[in-house]
Amino acid sequence: MAGISSARLRAVFVVFAALSIVLSGRVAYWQTVARADLLDRARGQVLTDEVIPAQRGTIRDRSGNILAATVELRSLYAIPARIKDKPAVARSLGVLLGRDSGPILERLSARSDWVWIQRRLPETAAAAIAKLKVDGLGFLKEPKRLYPNEDLAAHALGFVNDDGKGQGGVEGWYDGILRGLPGKLVVERDPADRTIALGLREAVPARHGADVTLTIDLVVQTAAERELRATLEREKATSGAIVVLDPRDGAIRAMASYPTFHPAAVAVADPAAMRDRVIGWPYEPGSVMKAMTIAAGIDHGVVAPGTWYDDRGYADIGGRRLFNALGRAWGPTNMTQVLERSANAGAVFVGSRLGGQRLAESIRAFGFGSRTGVDLMGEAGGIVRPLAEWYPVDVGTASFGQGLTATPLQVAAAYAAIANGGVLHRPYVVAGWRDADGEHRTAPSAVRAVISPTTAATLRDMLVSTVDNGLAQAAKVPGFSVGGKTGTAQIPSPDGRYVDDEYISTFAGFFPAVDPTFVAVVTLERPNSRLLGTVAAMSTFRAAAQDTLRYARTQPDRK
Amino acid sequence: MISLALTGRRRSVRVPAARRHGAYRRPAARHTRGAQRTATWELGSFLGAAAAITAAFVLALAYLAGSTGVATAGYEAQRLQATRDELRRQNALLELEVAKLDSPARIEAEAKRLGLVRVPFIPVVQAAPLSARR
Repeated sequence: MAGISSARLRAVFVVFAALSIVLSGRVAYWQTVARADLLDRARGQVLTDEVIPAQRGTIRDRSGNILAATVELRSLYAIPARIKDKPAVARSLGVLLGRDSGPILERLSARSDWVWIQRRLPETAAAAIAKLKVDGLGFLKEPKRLYPNEDLAAHALGFVNDDGKGQGGVEGWYDGILRGLPGKLVVERDPADRTIALGLREAVPARHGADVTLTIDLVVQTAAERELRATLEREKATSGAIVVLDPRDGAIRAMASYPTFHPAAVAVADPAAMRDRVIGWPYEPGSVMKAMTIAAGIDHGVVAPGTWYDDRGYADIGGRRLFNALGRAWGPTNMTQVLERSANAGAVFVGSRLGGQRLAESIRAFGFGSRTGVDLMGEAGGIVRPLAEWYPVDVGTASFGQGLTATPLQVAAAYAAIANGGVLHRPYVVAGWRDADGEHRTAPSAVRAVISPTTAATLRDMLVSTVDNGLAQAAKVPGFSVGGKTGTAQIPSPDGRYVDDEYISTFAGFFPAVDPTFVAVVTLERPNSRLLGTVAAMSTFRAAAQDTLRYARTQPDRK
Repeated sequence: MISLALTGRRRSVRVPAARRHGAYRRPAARHTRGAQRTATWELGSFLGAAAAITAAFVLALAYLAGSTGVATAGYEAQRLQATRDELRRQNALLELEVAKLDSPARIEAEAKRLGLVRVPFIPVVQAAPLSARR
């Protein structure tokens, strides 16, 4: 009996010992080999891994006025199962959101656990809805890019798409600087979704986007847009553009394109309206190019302001006859009068003396045929064909701005070179930005000396005479000297010919001409007015110049 | 024995000096002294254990109080952070509102609504001739 008991005891002992060993082994396994897995699973229940979004930088004008900023707006969601009186809630929301309550009720009656009612609400509407304290309604904050001046400078600013990526204009070109870098936060949370103070916490802070300051001046921009819009509506023109820049360093003070769009509502914008005509609309510039042709002629010494020719109303070149506008014959005409009268035959005369090689080089030296390098998305370079592809007649047509294309900004940069003493500058729109590392300023960039200072001064006088005595008298600004030149270009049709009675009218000028601080170019597509629409372009220029000079408190240089 | 435990004074039960110096020592007295030593050791152990338990309890309480305090402070910090973020958001919205109200286009439209018109020409008085005349 005692032996049996002893055997049983031994058996029980062995069983328990074996179980203990197995359990100990299992415990040892979980504590060593599978420790990391267990810890991960335990942490996974309480840890949250969050992205800390980087705040997109603010865009300001040169005086510090906000042009674009990102704020968090409240988005309204609903948990339908928790809303008791759905029709009444839908009615209240409809009133506060200014919407039909039907679609709201549909959402509230959905079988989903969670639905959006409306995203990024106006703050007043969100505050009113929050006061209702309806169980089952809640808010989440979402970033939204806002533009307090609405569609002002829309093309220069660009916009931000739904993914938070900048598109077009400054938003696109400086997206990397404006966007910043998101951070990361790993924390332990309690069941109420609050961070546990003593829990694990790993944080990589977000690097917010830089605040960007533009060279654009809000007041000059407003005046330029107002005048352009008024002219286009009065003239029933298809589209138009205006650009104002400082010829001393190429800083753009205003640039506008019409039709336009609201950067905060691109989803409903007309795609054609989103095209920036200042930098992305190459067209045949027409007679504004005569200034560059004569500048090249004077600089190369083939003509002088007093050089004259007998104007018969046309010029023969390369076996073709090129006529003056309206076929008018001016008789003996000097180079200043070529600009005053905008005589095509005179430009052909200078072009012939220069020859194709020097004319083409001069046109390219003024920046035509290649992008200006402006810090904006979507710039076009225009077309100046290689000299090898020129026909003999192209020397004639190019001398008065046909057979090549240029953007309004290229024309403005070329006139700025004449206005500042002969140096072509790269136009720029961002004056600088401020980030965590401090302030960064854009250094103005001189591309090349195009003509000598003497030639530039001569050209300035000739262009002032064009406004004072020539066809451009509608551009006169009382109290100030103004230099400038009109241009009218025919519009090519799909069959390679020109469209009858439809033009693109341009006026390019600088003011005050004694010491120019502003260059402005106005371009109108298909205006319905006399003198081929150039009067409308000149009146727009004059009105914008008057406001700009008044705002800049520039001392008049004339009585 | 009990009085010993209460007073803890060993001198009160010491054998008189005459006896200590005497050659004879009674077995009963030896037994009593051993019992006394055991009692003293038990008492010491009891007091030590009690003190250790009390200290551990106090430490645990202090740790709990500290943890609770930190957790409460953490929640308060979160609440204050949320308040700060909301105030910053409100501030950004107000800055945008100011920018909207300062917009030259809005001011022009408002001026037009009030019947104001643009001045066609602003005469500028030259300061140099005036000062020369004086």
